[in-house]
Amino acid sequence: MTIRRVLIANRGEIAVRIIRACQMLGIETVLVTSEADRDAMPAQLADRAVCIGPARSTDSYLNYRAIVTAAKATGCDAVHPGYGFLSEKPELPDACSSEGLIFVGPTGDHMRKMGNKIAARKLAREAGVPTLAGSEKVSSATDAAEVAERIGYPVMMKAAAGGGGRGMKVVHDPRKVSDAFAAASAEAESAFGDPTLYLERFIANARHIEVQVLGDQFGNVIHIGERDCSLQRRHQKVVEEAPAPGITSALRQEICQAAVGLAHNIGYENAGTCEFIFDEDTRNFYFLEMNTRIQVEHPVSETITGIDLVQEQFRIAAGERLRFKQSDIGFRGHAIECRINAEIPEQGFRPNAGRIQTWVAPAGPGIRLDTHCHPGYIVPVFYDSMLAKLIVYGSTRGEAIERMRRALELFAITGIGTTIPFLHFMMGRAEFISGQVSTHLIDDVMPDFLSEI
Amino acid sequence: MSDGLSSLKEEDVQRLARLIESLESSTFDYLQLQVGDLKVTIGKGALPASAPSFAATAPASAAPSAPAAAAPSAPALAAPAAPTFVAPPSPLGNPSVGAAPATPAPSLAPPEFARRPTKASDDAGTIEIKSQIMGMFYSQPEPGSPPFVSIGTEVKEDTTVCLIEVMKTFNAMTAGVKGVITEICVKNAQLVEYGQVLFRIRPS
Repeated sequence: MTIRRVLIANRGEIAVRIIRACQMLGIETVLVTSEADRDAMPAQLADRAVCIGPARSTDSYLNYRAIVTAAKATGCDAVHPGYGFLSEKPELPDACSSEGLIFVGPTGDHMRKMGNKIAARKLAREAGVPTLAGSEKVSSATDAAEVAERIGYPVMMKAAAGGGGRGMKVVHDPRKVSDAFAAASAEAESAFGDPTLYLERFIANARHIEVQVLGDQFGNVIHIGERDCSLQRRHQKVVEEAPAPGITSALRQEICQAAVGLAHNIGYENAGTCEFIFDEDTRNFYFLEMNTRIQVEHPVSETITGIDLVQEQFRIAAGERLRFKQSDIGFRGHAIECRINAEIPEQGFRPNAGRIQTWVAPAGPGIRLDTHCHPGYIVPVFYDSMLAKLIVYGSTRGEAIERMRRALELFAITGIGTTIPFLHFMMGRAEFISGQVSTHLIDDVMPDFLSEI
Repeated sequence: MSDGLSSLKEEDVQRLARLIESLESSTFDYLQLQVGDLKVTIGKGALPASAPSFAATAPASAAPSAPAAAAPSAPALAAPAAPTFVAPPSPLGNPSVGAAPATPAPSLAPPEFARRPTKASDDAGTIEIKSQIMGMFYSQPEPGSPPFVSIGTEVKEDTTVCLIEVMKTFNAMTAGVKGVITEICVKNAQLVEYGQVLFRIRPS
């Protein structure tokens, strides 16, 4: 391994996750922290921590100049961005490469190619990957109305620079186009600094299926299978699983090959994820976007394949060839991940911060917990609300669901409200147990949850 | 002052410029010149305590010219007006006596960062000057030149005490308080963290 010391430009559970991978690889770790995270678990686990700024992430975790300076000054030879923050900002890999640092991820050019969703749609079509009927950029409400007429209502307005559900609006009615256009473009402007929108046909009965890919610097690309991330709330994933339930092996093959083809076509390097929308009614899938980083839900793929994706990220970044051929990748059993967030489900999932009084985590065969929390930890108000990812394995999907139910029952957290009660409710729902997942399932069952508690 | 300046002819300005040049290449810290009513002081860094502090020229010349030599690869950064130049966020913020940060229990510090004082400090009555950004600490305007301040240097609120470099952008930091430097807590060309104590000053 040519990487000896890495700077980790992130916080929370993913910082811990990266440190653990480094410990296995014998790589030393330097963690940058904000003032609010100085004493948090990742800072204690890292070989060294450097406080780079105040709590506000724009002054710390988003300051790529400070991060690169810290990497050079502490003798690091590489930088791992984790997910979120700078992980998809080409400025960071660009700055790393001009400073002679290895960036553990794709190149800035890959990020630029996939970062603009309109350009990414085009690349997907060029690779023969189906995309939804839609548009190039729409520059006015009139323009949007014309496109909507052509592709047929309902339509989805999306931000070209987008992601994470911001700048997205579903329009069912031609009379609402103008309002939706104004709202979506204002949202896109404030979230991404770019108001550009495009339109896609809206699929009512949809599932979210994504494919994990790995590419090395020699043009080899393989997939590590698909994940179903249909259980979402406001376009935020809540529960993820692998493999996707209820799809034929022919379809699985087809969707995974589409992802590999697209990644291969752009010479993609490192770990990435191609996201697809799956139309439950027509059984067709369409490319949505490609995430050029490690994802929150990567552990479910690791669990059913035995591959440590973060370790592979380092090997690829160090210039090694992929250690696996596609035929070496075996899939075994079923894995589910629940995101445990500091949110109060019965109060509209209102985030809450504060001191964790009790933290008794489940353990046992087939249970993995990725977290940075512990008893007495104070959840800061400055960052996202994710406390932990609970991942379970079962030889069948049914066994995995049962194990998740038990694990959630054993998980005791006091001091702050969490999403555990809702996740437990979800694991018991007939729709979920039978594999009838969709992107609107959580909204559908919410009234029942609220009346039960 | 304004009378004095308006009496300067173009050739006087030329001469002054030459003086500044020769001072820069010399080992002297500052130069004072008195011609009739006009007194001129040119220097690098703060004036020595003994120097009469009537001239507005002294500290001003230090900061802008400093980065040129410290960062040979980025001469453009010498101009304070360059867009990447980060103005020192309010003269070192609100220096606090002792440590009273907002975070609950800041006991950070991996071994290298233990804030070992360079000498036993008389904590009582001194003010900690903390770094407002993370970066490389430079105690002097350029290699080989004398430091901005030393122990015993009298500083004013706007006296430049060090440079903090972030990716070849040099940020001049000012004392933010009037007093005497009693301790320099970090070494030249060392990485300093956000909030790390750089100096202790006994206010006057």
